[in-house]
Amino acid sequence: MNLDLTWRLLKGGGRRGLLGTWLTLGAVAVATALLLFAVAANFAFGARAERTAWRNPVPAASGAVAVEASRYDFVRDRAITVIDLAALPGESPAPPPGLPRFPAPGEVWLSPALAALARELPAGELADRYPGPEGVLGDAALVHPGELVAVVGHAPDAPAMTAQRSEDWIIAKPPVKVASLAGEPSEDAEAYQVLSAIASVLMVVPLLVFGGAAARLTVARRDQRLAALRLVGATPGQVVAMTVAEAVIVALAGALVGTAVFALCVPLLAGIQMQGGPWFAGDLFPPPLVLAGVLVAVPLLVGLSAVAGLRRVVVSPLGVAKRETPPAMRFVRVLALIAVLAAFPMLSQNTSVTVVVVALALAFLCVNLAGPWVVGVIGRITAASARGPARLLAGRRLVDDPRSAWRTVSGVALTGFVAGFLGLLSPAAFDEGAAGPPALRVTAPAGQAEEVAGRARERLGAADVQATVKTAANGVVVATLHGTPGVAALDRARTALAGLVPGRTPTTKTDDQRFGIEVLADVRVGTIVVLSVSFLVAIASSGITATSSVLDRRQTYALLRLAGTPLETLDRARRAETLIPLAVMGGGAILVGAFCAIPFMIGGVNAVGMATLGGCVVLGFAGVIGAGALSRPLLRAVTADPAPRPD
Amino acid sequence: MNDVLVGRALAKRFGQTVALGGVDIAVRAGEAVAIMGPSGSGKSTLLHCLAGIMKPDGGEVHLLGRRIDAMGERKRSALRRTRFGFVFQFGQLLPELPAEENVALPLMLGGVPRAQAVRRAREWFAPLGLHSMEARRPGELSGGQAQRVAIARALVSRPAVVFADEPTGALDQQTGQETMRLLVEATKHNDASLIVVTHDPNVAAWCDRTVEVRDGHLLAGAPHPAGPHPAGPHAAGPHAAGPHAAGPHAAGPHPAGPHPARPHPGGEAVHGPKDGTRA
Repeated sequence: MNLDLTWRLLKGGGRRGLLGTWLTLGAVAVATALLLFAVAANFAFGARAERTAWRNPVPAASGAVAVEASRYDFVRDRAITVIDLAALPGESPAPPPGLPRFPAPGEVWLSPALAALARELPAGELADRYPGPEGVLGDAALVHPGELVAVVGHAPDAPAMTAQRSEDWIIAKPPVKVASLAGEPSEDAEAYQVLSAIASVLMVVPLLVFGGAAARLTVARRDQRLAALRLVGATPGQVVAMTVAEAVIVALAGALVGTAVFALCVPLLAGIQMQGGPWFAGDLFPPPLVLAGVLVAVPLLVGLSAVAGLRRVVVSPLGVAKRETPPAMRFVRVLALIAVLAAFPMLSQNTSVTVVVVALALAFLCVNLAGPWVVGVIGRITAASARGPARLLAGRRLVDDPRSAWRTVSGVALTGFVAGFLGLLSPAAFDEGAAGPPALRVTAPAGQAEEVAGRARERLGAADVQATVKTAANGVVVATLHGTPGVAALDRARTALAGLVPGRTPTTKTDDQRFGIEVLADVRVGTIVVLSVSFLVAIASSGITATSSVLDRRQTYALLRLAGTPLETLDRARRAETLIPLAVMGGGAILVGAFCAIPFMIGGVNAVGMATLGGCVVLGFAGVIGAGALSRPLLRAVTADPAPRPD
Repeated sequence: MNDVLVGRALAKRFGQTVALGGVDIAVRAGEAVAIMGPSGSGKSTLLHCLAGIMKPDGGEVHLLGRRIDAMGERKRSALRRTRFGFVFQFGQLLPELPAEENVALPLMLGGVPRAQAVRRAREWFAPLGLHSMEARRPGELSGGQAQRVAIARALVSRPAVVFADEPTGALDQQTGQETMRLLVEATKHNDASLIVVTHDPNVAAWCDRTVEVRDGHLLAGAPHPAGPHPAGPHAAGPHAAGPHAAGPHAAGPHPAGPHPARPHPGGEAVHGPKDGTRA
């Protein structure tokens, strides 16, 4: 019976009720799509980490079957991962992922992108470094579709498999005897996973707030009617059941739509450059179980939020009808935030990641708890100091319902927290492009520097590259190219010097900084992605709340307009109602976020972070004003009704 | 003629429905007019056209000799804010503002500084029997009290005409009568005309005359009353003579209706603040 009545209430809600239902559905759809994205990102980084585990050898204590080593090579401004493999005598190890067989000595396998590039560029610039490729690597061996990888087979006693390599683990991994090629995810892959977990927390909290706002939108629509039902004798249980049923039905539909939207967006999302390239679409689809979990969790959360919003109706049937003043916010909310913030200076870069993530999530939630209290205080100040009607209306409204005002700005305020946190966290930019003509450096084996330099001169001469070769301290051989050579000449020099010192790659200073530059680029992309998601959520939720606020107050607005209040005054009051708390809360949240980032700061505040922050502030304000302006036609429409009657 | 508000040949249709089919009406300074009629008769449409809320399809509306129906929305808004006052059935008070700020709002919208607006608003509370209600919020007022706050708000900017649409519709009989008394007396005392739309003869009886609307037309027999109307609320028995006796209300409640209660049942007459400043 309850379900039947619910269905009829849902269907018979009239235009106004239906609008609320559609808005909720849309909001839940957006929230689900973004939630799936936040969740999927973790699995996507996990998938990358697992696919590249084979390149990160685990030294075998016993039962070694092969030797594995790796280094980086460079072409143009891109890095090539070179994996050297050798089967131990008498062993036939299982091939690594993506290869049909274990490479025999002298065999070369290239990733599809590298193979294509080798065909495209003149042989003297790239292809000669990897002569006679046997075939291409399968996707299972690659981080991303565009990755440049070469797998080279060797004899176990070949110089490349025995010689020393660079001491820097980022640049190369020395030959290691392994029992299998399973490997384990590398430290940098794990670092990416941790960062994506933090990013997910930063995205999920505003999403939950947004979902809650959407759920309350349905309840706000129904408040009056449900209170009426209570008055005619429906039990609290029945009212709750009906509300929850309605919210859950709508939320489930929204979650399904959101999943479809996410699926449609995957090709676009796959184009986001991370770790040097775009994504395999398959990586971005979360596992079916996780997908099912989201589809269950979203309607559940919306239902719970609806129940929370209903508490007042259930407690007192007259609660809504009489428009009682809600009890003032408790200061405890602010104390909670202060308590969590007080804990932050105790954290440092050495604190375990789990603790940091939990602390961050707590700080984030507490900003959300303290928000309504602060909005209430802002309202009191605004109302007391108001001289014109718009600010007076805005201030009184903020005091009257700080929670709903907070909902309008919470998204942007929480984004401010994210921006403040990340703004400080972005590592300082690298000193890109070392000055002077490019010089390739390679460390010669002890005592062979002169001999290596001589061979380098011969090779460069044969390749028609103008260069001066000298030896420097620590057996480093430096080949400085003449004049201002183009990238083609540099790659010819690289190709000429390939294999000059087994296991070592001649590199420029820029090459050596390539990884730092790439990590910086990834952090920037990540920041932009997190901020974009936060902004989408923030703007969508402020649009939704602005719309529902117009609907909730349509009678008052209409009567005010009737009595001659210009539409602009109503609109100004509405804007002030949003912008005053937005300015205070957004600014406050940025400061809190920045405060939370201080323990993790590397170096000083950097210009890029500050620029991102500034951009966020501008975009946030513009977005909220724009989203609010979208409901202006609605305001015009509801106030144009010449005979407003209470519903 | 001292007609304040004149409607000539007012016509309005909604789709196929004729709401007004050429209505002529004139309201004089200080006069209280009731517009009666059953639901759907067009009485609310007439009020909306006269108040500049709605543009009539045909005909003209003049306020103090100025044509207002042809004005743009902005000008009409300003006119409603400064020259007209409105009292509705309920819901016109902003729930989050205290009573005094609700009353002060029209002044503030007109550019009066807040402190001055609130001070002028407060002057209305005692005369309307709203002692110490200044800081209460509408949710904390009874229906009758809320309507009195609405009356104060309608009059605070010293309008030329007050429009009331079923002002007692949400009140019980006794409170409704008391509210009507305050509305009529306060309006008269401030030299404003009053136009009340109602379906309740007891409410209409408080007015100087009644016009009946049926199917978009004024009913014959209820035109402008003959002869000068007694001025001021204290004139004895304004309804004893006049068109009503011969009109459709001959058998109505007017002669013996609520009027015995009219000479100030509460004792004191409603004068409102006397500073006389017009907004």
